[in-house]
Amino acid sequence: MRIARHFHRPAWLCVSSALLALPGLALANADVEKNIANSKNWATQAGDMYNQRYSKLDQIKTSNVGKMQVAWTFSTGVLRGHEGSPLVIDGRMYLHSPFPNKVFAIDLDTQKILWKYEPKQDPAVIPQMCCDTVNRGLAYAEGKVILQQADSMLVALDAQSGKVIWSTKNGDPKLGAVNTNAPHVFKDKVITGISGGEWGVRGFIAAYNLSDGKLAWKGYSVGPDAEMLIDPAKTMTWTDGKLAAVGADSSLKTWKGDQWKIGGGTTWGWYSYDKALNLMYYGTGNPSTWNPAQRPGDNKWSMTIFARDVDTGMAKWVYQMTPYDEWDFDGINEMILADIDVKGKPTKALVHFDRNGFGYTMDRTNGTLLVAEKFDPAVNWATHVDMKTGRPQTVARYSTAKNGPDVNSKGICPAALGSKDQQPASFDPNTKLFYVPTNHVCMDYEPFKVEYTAGQPYVGATLSMFPAPGSHGGMGNYITWNAGTGKIVQSKAEKFSVWSGSLSTAGGLSCYGTLEGYLKCVDAKDINKELFKFKTPSGIIGNVFTYEHKGKQYIGVFSGIGGWAGIGMAAGLEKDTDGLGAVGGYRELNQYTELGGSLTVFALPN
Amino acid sequence: MIRKILLGLLLSVAGSSFGQAELYKVVDGYKVDENTMKGFRTWRAAACDRCHGANQEGLVGPSLVNSMKTLTKEEFVITVRDGRLQKGMQSFGTSPQVMENMDHLYAYLKGRSDGAIKRARVEPIQ
Repeated sequence: MRIARHFHRPAWLCVSSALLALPGLALANADVEKNIANSKNWATQAGDMYNQRYSKLDQIKTSNVGKMQVAWTFSTGVLRGHEGSPLVIDGRMYLHSPFPNKVFAIDLDTQKILWKYEPKQDPAVIPQMCCDTVNRGLAYAEGKVILQQADSMLVALDAQSGKVIWSTKNGDPKLGAVNTNAPHVFKDKVITGISGGEWGVRGFIAAYNLSDGKLAWKGYSVGPDAEMLIDPAKTMTWTDGKLAAVGADSSLKTWKGDQWKIGGGTTWGWYSYDKALNLMYYGTGNPSTWNPAQRPGDNKWSMTIFARDVDTGMAKWVYQMTPYDEWDFDGINEMILADIDVKGKPTKALVHFDRNGFGYTMDRTNGTLLVAEKFDPAVNWATHVDMKTGRPQTVARYSTAKNGPDVNSKGICPAALGSKDQQPASFDPNTKLFYVPTNHVCMDYEPFKVEYTAGQPYVGATLSMFPAPGSHGGMGNYITWNAGTGKIVQSKAEKFSVWSGSLSTAGGLSCYGTLEGYLKCVDAKDINKELFKFKTPSGIIGNVFTYEHKGKQYIGVFSGIGGWAGIGMAAGLEKDTDGLGAVGGYRELNQYTELGGSLTVFALPN
Repeated sequence: MIRKILLGLLLSVAGSSFGQAELYKVVDGYKVDENTMKGFRTWRAAACDRCHGANQEGLVGPSLVNSMKTLTKEEFVITVRDGRLQKGMQSFGTSPQVMENMDHLYAYLKGRSDGAIKRARVEPIQ
């Protein structure tokens, strides 16, 4: 019965009223656009709304990056995993921390804390958070700093004072609906998602008014058409070599009984926005539970790329990458928008590196599938994606559904944490290449039957993870990718998963962090040329960013080990006695790093 | 085979060193009695491995191989039932499966901590 509370939202009312407000000129959000246009800022989590993570700053470049030094550092005072990055707007930096989700405003002239905000949150949400108590950062627009707290409260703070302007409840943490994602401001809306796929949370994306925090629309990932904001006749998907309307009950038909009500499809990644098309893009997560036997069917629209109209929330197109997930290949990774040549043709592309190990290139205007190729040669669960049907061609021996509950399916690549997880890739418009932090990890996966209890974990599989066999022995690669052809251009082996978002700059650099704690900058034209390497205080799972202040360019990154890859660090690791998984591989991390969150900022010497 | 069963019985005696009824039976290091199997299934269903590691070796949560050496049964029950929220341990008080199988879960984890159950994935004694 408690689940029923999700449904009384009058979704259609919100939509119809929004439709009446005819959009005039396509405005992304004048203030955010202005802040992004000033390349001295790092105005959004990805630096722009296309998720490109590219900066036009070029003071630090291939020829001098080797001389870079630490300019200043800052401790957040929090131990857990530090994902995301600070924002920089007009001489101020806004930093966030993992739970308890502190926010700091710092004056870049003095590095003095101008204000600090620390919400009071029920500690019961700490254990509700799968994979560490991370938070992926803030948004900034029109003098408001937007924080998405762990306990699902979405809060707008006055950027001048740190005082709360409005706050709104986005989910029910008692049911495991908590938040780790960064909020995003597109037009006059604050967009946020939800976590809790391992708690049977039914995923959604929600838009709140930037002005007052009121809900504008909410689109679920699974369930009835109206609640998903899917128009059976107009929402398109790639089917049988062409685009076709999804038809009525496109989700309900692919679930057994009421399983969709606890069906997952959460939305904790990074979102992007194309103002010319007025579409926002994001991915939905794994269906719940991890035991596929309990949810026969394609489980639409979990594991799906969504394109939605920002004004109304209506889905323009959808594409399901992993129908009937059997591996937890949670599809939430970022959608990068770039105008590139695809198979020789200039294309408004959407590029996505999925947990399932395939790099997808779509026509973002309409959802046409253009490219789907493996971005890690180790991927073995599917031979390829059939370009006509858009469906992965799975391999029977790695099918945890075919092998069934209580059978351990061995040697599946990639592991559940994917060939890439949330750590965002970057796009360099000069080289036209994507710079992708990846995992090179495989797994054994044993599903089992599990009962749903509200507010209790709802996982249903045990798995162990290990470095990809028969390879370089490491658990990560940093790669460059040609999204027009679907080919790896270069691959740089890393000892551990690269769990840090990369940065591309006009200085010809590509920078990323490693789990050992190194910030590395490589030559964008030859990523095997490591031009800079510095050991920060802790392992890096944050995203590299850059800004300019008083004529000087800075490159910064959070360090603070944690997150899924780093959780093995957190406590008393025992000597492995028998077939140990990820911990076996990641265990060595404790020879390099300990917990502890801090920001390290670099610059060239004076 | 008889020697293996004897070894198993010896280990199960070790598991009941407080003179109570024996906590668990183990044969060959991984075949266990029905109740201990229930403990294992509870461990798995409650997704304890997400924090404590697939082999109880510890991840974001502490190693239970270690903790169970010092934690009393009473402390164990309180911790599982009420959680240690600040430390990230949730309350399983509303989970029927965990609450109904508390003793079996304890037995299974104690067996792992004692070293008598030599691998996390156990099977029933046939």
